[in-house]
Amino acid sequence: MSEDIDFEIDAEDLPDRADGTAQLGEPSVVVHDLHVTYRVFGSKRRPLPVGKQSRLRRFLAKGRTYAGAVTEVHAVRGVSFVAHHGESIGIIGTNGSGKSTLLRAVAGLHPPTQGSVYISGVPSLLGVNAALVKQLSGERNIMLGGLALGLSKAEIEERFDEIVDFAGIGDAVQLPMSAYSSGMAARLRFAISTAAVPDVLMIDEALATGDAAFRKRSKARIEEIRHAAGTVFFVSHSLASVRAMCTRAIWLDRGVIRADGPVDEIADMYAQYVKELHSAGKDDRDAAQ
Amino acid sequence: MTTTSAPLPPPESPEAAAALAEASGLRQVGVRPTLREYVKETWRRREFAQTLARSTVFAENQNTYLGQLWAVLTPAMNAFVYVLIFGVILQLTRGQNNGIGFIIVGVFMYRFFSESATGGAKSVQKNLNLVRALHFPRSLLPIATVLANLGSLVPALFVMCGAVLVSALLPSVKFGGVDWEWLLLVPAVLFIYLFSTGVAFMLARVVERVPDLGNLLPFVLRVLMYMSGVIFPIDRYIHDPALAAIMSYQPVAVYLNLARQALLDEPNIPLDPAMWAWGAGWGVLFFVVGFVFFWRAEARYGRE
Repeated sequence: MSEDIDFEIDAEDLPDRADGTAQLGEPSVVVHDLHVTYRVFGSKRRPLPVGKQSRLRRFLAKGRTYAGAVTEVHAVRGVSFVAHHGESIGIIGTNGSGKSTLLRAVAGLHPPTQGSVYISGVPSLLGVNAALVKQLSGERNIMLGGLALGLSKAEIEERFDEIVDFAGIGDAVQLPMSAYSSGMAARLRFAISTAAVPDVLMIDEALATGDAAFRKRSKARIEEIRHAAGTVFFVSHSLASVRAMCTRAIWLDRGVIRADGPVDEIADMYAQYVKELHSAGKDDRDAAQ
Repeated sequence: MTTTSAPLPPPESPEAAAALAEASGLRQVGVRPTLREYVKETWRRREFAQTLARSTVFAENQNTYLGQLWAVLTPAMNAFVYVLIFGVILQLTRGQNNGIGFIIVGVFMYRFFSESATGGAKSVQKNLNLVRALHFPRSLLPIATVLANLGSLVPALFVMCGAVLVSALLPSVKFGGVDWEWLLLVPAVLFIYLFSTGVAFMLARVVERVPDLGNLLPFVLRVLMYMSGVIFPIDRYIHDPALAAIMSYQPVAVYLNLARQALLDEPNIPLDPAMWAWGAGWGVLFFVVGFVFFWRAEARYGRE
């Protein structure tokens, strides 16, 4: 890639590339014609700021944005793919292309409006909101997360120190998570989610807030999962990290798959597309981040 | 099936997708489990609800200087206000052997129900972070909310019993003393707990779908409070027999009656096996119907 469009990560910071030669296992995720819509309350389009409108008209237009405003967002429109055990798949696309929604739907955390999703085991999703319950201490969040992942209380207590060590948060584990920095919270969530090796692990930007040392550790953990025949989905705006972490990439554009294939091929196509957007001068900030 | 070196192409039809999934032993997500599976899974994950409940009770009061003491202070002050206004100033319970005890028991028990209903209604939305990050039967959320309220009710019950004993020291109060009947408080709490969980299930689903209804809930609960004889004896103020019967046998009034049977000695609230049957019946009915009602929308929670 020619022009660097990654601001977050220096290339030399990144660990070695994922090795793409490993044999693929059986399918772990099958998605057919997936559509996802969701409701957003209180979010009608803002009326055009025309100065000449009468006071009454402006008032009425404003009123409509405050009462009875429900918008349906059609975020994913007919996505199909098959993922295999031992694959790590990067999902790339501009802001608002439906990447996070797709992940949540595949994880079974956001019900599909149409289409079907099949998955192996209990998927584990690392989202942007790292705290499970913000008012509760890290310790209790570990307990809740572990129980939900199907671990027993004894198993969680057994792995407790390991989780805290991996997250590198030390005594802060006793504090409510509302007091955590976003990096600390993301690290703890990652540690919780990988405490039991999941069949399918989904990471949604969650590692962007980690420092270099943590990125190395998490990368090693992801490789471990992949070698234990897990599947990893990885959403990131950083093309460099997608290239480093993934063997395959899916390019999502306005809720539809634009391309799906080996990571380098797709990443090059996407980089080219972003460059064109950039030179066309529209939405540049949006796309390049 | 064996290993391949390139990923398979996307399935071309729903049938092909289903067949491929079947061959690889995958399960479909975003669909409602069968009721049987759901009950099993809810039971298997009960520890999750317990942990969430315990943490919620703890987190509720941790931002104050007096901390967990508020779990006892809040209902005590509440009862004090009601006793002062309705018992002492308006004298709504005049004629009861222990008018103060009457109001105290009513307020404490009703508070448990109304807090459970309010909390249960918001339980899915309040825990959206959990719903969006983790897999577990969503029924655990209303269950955990009511469980948390039960956790706060236990210390409150000691305050309630203590207050009834203290009120018995007043010269105007006729009091039979502590007897075996006090033990009946345990089944009474169990029944109102079942009933409240059922109501929490129903409200959780409805309010998740139409959040506006959550804003109406306080008014409904206020009406219900006056319809249940929390601060006045129904038989003394409602003279229309049909209305009095409806008001006395609706679930909330039944549970207040049961708790008063246990703790007080009032000629107009005798030990009555029929009332206990009503209490058990309402509890089981609401619990079962609420659970099934909640389960039917299981695949839809968290969409938004």
